[in-house]
This record gives sequence, structure tokens and C-alpha cells, in this order.
Amino acid sequence: MSLSHSALEKLATFRANNTRASQETFKNASTVLKSFKRLGDDGWAVLEQLFLASVDVGRLDVADECLRQLGKQFPDSPRVDVLTGIRMEATESPDVVLEYYAQLLDADSANAAIWKRKISVLRRTGKIEKAVEELSQLLDTFYTDVEGWLELADIYTSCNQYIPALQALSHVLLLAAQNPFYQLQFAETAYTAGDIPLALKAFLVAVEMSERDLSDKSPPVGISVRAWLGVKLCSRRLLLNSSPSASNTVVPKNLHLIEELATERVLGVYSSKSSSTRAPEGRDVVVGWVGDR
Amino acid sequence: MSQYSVSARAYLKLFFHAAKHPQSSVNGVLLGKEEPSGAITIVDAVPLLHHWTSLSPMMEIGLDLAGRHAESMGLTLVGYYQACERIDDTSLAPVGERIAGKLRDGYKNAVALVIDGEKIGSGEAAVIPYTPQGPIWRPYSGESAAFGPGSIFQLSSADLPQRALSLVREQELHQKFGDFDDHLEDVTIDWLRNTACMPSDV
Repeated sequence: MSLSHSALEKLATFRANNTRASQETFKNASTVLKSFKRLGDDGWAVLEQLFLASVDVGRLDVADECLRQLGKQFPDSPRVDVLTGIRMEATESPDVVLEYYAQLLDADSANAAIWKRKISVLRRTGKIEKAVEELSQLLDTFYTDVEGWLELADIYTSCNQYIPALQALSHVLLLAAQNPFYQLQFAETAYTAGDIPLALKAFLVAVEMSERDLSDKSPPVGISVRAWLGVKLCSRRLLLNSSPSASNTVVPKNLHLIEELATERVLGVYSSKSSSTRAPEGRDVVVGWVGDR
Repeated sequence: MSQYSVSARAYLKLFFHAAKHPQSSVNGVLLGKEEPSGAITIVDAVPLLHHWTSLSPMMEIGLDLAGRHAESMGLTLVGYYQACERIDDTSLAPVGERIAGKLRDGYKNAVALVIDGEKIGSGEAAVIPYTPQGPIWRPYSGESAAFGPGSIFQLSSADLPQRALSLVREQELHQKFGDFDDHLEDVTIDWLRNTACMPSDV
């Protein structure tokens, strides 16, 4: 019994995109355990993937078997050390786990993966200041770690510290300049921070990035739907009252036109003439919303 | 204090929302109406976010749209619900308090429900009501335990938690559930009604 080609492809896509589809992954558990050795090098990555999924869904028996096999194949591997730590996090107290991570970091202070596990334990046990301190140190050492900057932004946002969150996200934008998703996150964070002109500017950039390859006639899809909604929300607000900008971002002169265009684009999403076989839902409330002054 | 009754539809939707995104925070609003007796029935729930739950623009838009939908159904936005990312966290969090407060500006008897991660798998009522005391919201503590006999908070039927659990475990109905975040990725998702995942008698 082996994994089908489509199952393998799906697992590979999850790995490539770092998708946490643990229940979905775990469905392949027994097949993976029986057949991973036949998958060549990929087999070990799949086993590691199953380990993580098993911990996530609470099947520690399967997780332990995966870890046992990985430990046997890769003795003294820092990567397996991380997995061992994750397994410990599932059942041991935070102090025990932090002690284990401290030992590993003593031996190798540049082990970013272990350091991140330590930071995530600090965060989930409420030691937010310490988590931020350590994460900031990690980012001093590993500046290009986008995941780290995103985590820092997330920590700040969850504590209502939007300006530091924006600062962290600005590093993400530098490091991953072509990614409209991060641009959108920046825009939404700027809005939450109350800097509406900055949010508008960022939403417009997100629109531009995500619609670059789109033909003029097709309605917005995916990220650009959120981005256009953001443009409409911001431009309407700015037309009603001018809003101060902590970042001193200038409001575009053609605000009326921008708002009109956003209205048109948002309504276009809900037009029944779109190519999808099913009709958009909830059109009436959106029409009402865009029409409001 | 008013009495609150949570309908099957509302409870199942909260439950499905949390079950569909076990590693994220989720939130949404409660729709309801006041009975002639003054008691409040939480008739329905509209799910909002499971992604970037601390960021406000889509939340604002979603709230506005949910409010219009409520009005079209002859209902009011009577509250807010959320599930926290971590199983042991049942706080209303800074975000939840802010939104609940805003809803309270529109409806004086607004209530908040926080999903209790520890109880989700138990077959017991897995929500903790929060009520305002001035600007601060606290877990409701009354003479009787919430959703138990004699409490001002009631489920419309005692078997709801068990039913919710089996619908998730056996039929995976929660996988057909969609919130506003999902809708923004695919506007054919019916986030306001979610009829596709409701059992026929609900």
C-alpha cells in the first residue's frame, strides 16, 4: 500500500506553503508509516510532516513512532532536536521544555529553529515582554528571517501596539517586496493604528501588486477584493473628515476618483455576470454599504 | 438582568466556526430579538474572522454588513462571540472588549460569548457569557452556573452541545462552514446564512 500520486502532491504543496492542514495530513498516517521508506529522500520530509500533524491532532502515539524513526535515521541532528522539543511541549511543563531548549542553545547559540521554539513557548505562557526581547535579539542576528518579523508584528498587534507592529512589518516589506499579502497586512495594520492616509496608500499598492497581471475587464478576486474594500473604506472616511497621519502620509489629490473607482471595483466583484458558475452571496448588503455616504 | 436564550442555529454556528479553525482565534456577531417578556433570544450568529483577528478594517466592514443583514431579517446585533487561539485562554481579549463595547452602544443589553476550549469536546455547554460592568467586561457569575438550571443564560435545548459535537465528529459539517474571511476569498460563500451546514431541522 502506497500513497497515491495526488496524496503525495498535496502533502508536498502543504510543505512548500507551510500549510498547517493537520487533520488532512493525518488522514494518511497509517499509509505514510508503512510506505515512507519507498519515497526516497522525500520520505523523511513526509515523516516529519506526519510527526507535526500527529502532535497537532493529539495522536502522540503516531508522533512518537515518527520521531523514533527520524531519530534512528538522523542521530544528533539539530532538526530532530527541534522535533524532540515540540514533542516535549505537548506533554511536559513549560519549565522543563525551556530547560531543554536552554541546553541546546548553550551548545549552539545560533540555532534559530530552537530559539524560535523557545520564543513561542515564552509567548504562549504569557511572558510577552521576554518573548519580544528574545525575538528582537534573534532578528538582530538573523535580519532576513521574514517569519520572525511577522511573528513580532503579530505579538505587537495582539497587544494593541500598532506602531511597533508597523515597524516590524516594514522590514517584511523590504525583505519580501513583491508579496501583496504582506502589503495587505501592512495596510490593515495601518488602518487599525488609525493612520488612514497610510492605510489608503498601502491598500492602493496592494491593489496594484495583486492586479498587475489582470486584464481590465475581470472583476477583482482573492487579495484584491480585500484591497479594494480597504481602498473604499479609507477613501470614504477621508472624504468625510480629514484624518491625521502619524506617518505624515499625504492624502492623494484625486480622492473622489479613487473612491468612485473602488466602488465600481467592489460592485464588480458581486456582479452576477462574473465567470463563476455560482452567484455571489450577500450582494444586497454590499450594495447598501458601498452606497452609503 | 435580562434572560438570554441561545438557539440551536446560533450555538451550532459558533461551534462550527471554532471547530473549523482549531489553531486560530475566531470571532463573529450574535443576532437576536427581544421577546415581549423582555427576554432576549439569540436567534443566529454571523461569523466574521479567523485571520488577522486583531486588525480592524475587515472587521468593521463585516460588522456593518452583518448589521444590515440583521435588519433585513428583522433582527438586531445583540452580541459578539469569539474563541481564543489557545485552549486555556478564555479572556475577551482587548479586541473582543472593544467590539463588544461598540455593539453595546447600539444595543444596551449586548452580551459576549467566549468559547471554552477545554469544554468543546465534552458535550457540555462550551461558552462563557461575558457581561459589562462599566467599561470592563467580566465572565458572568450568577447564583446558578451559566447554561445550567435556573441560570439567566440558557441553551434552547439541553442536547445542543452533544449534538454539535457529533455533527462535527461524525458528519464534519463544520467543513462546509464559511466566515467573512472565507467569503472575501470566494464571494460565492454564503457567510451570512451558512445554510449548507445547518441540519434541516435548524
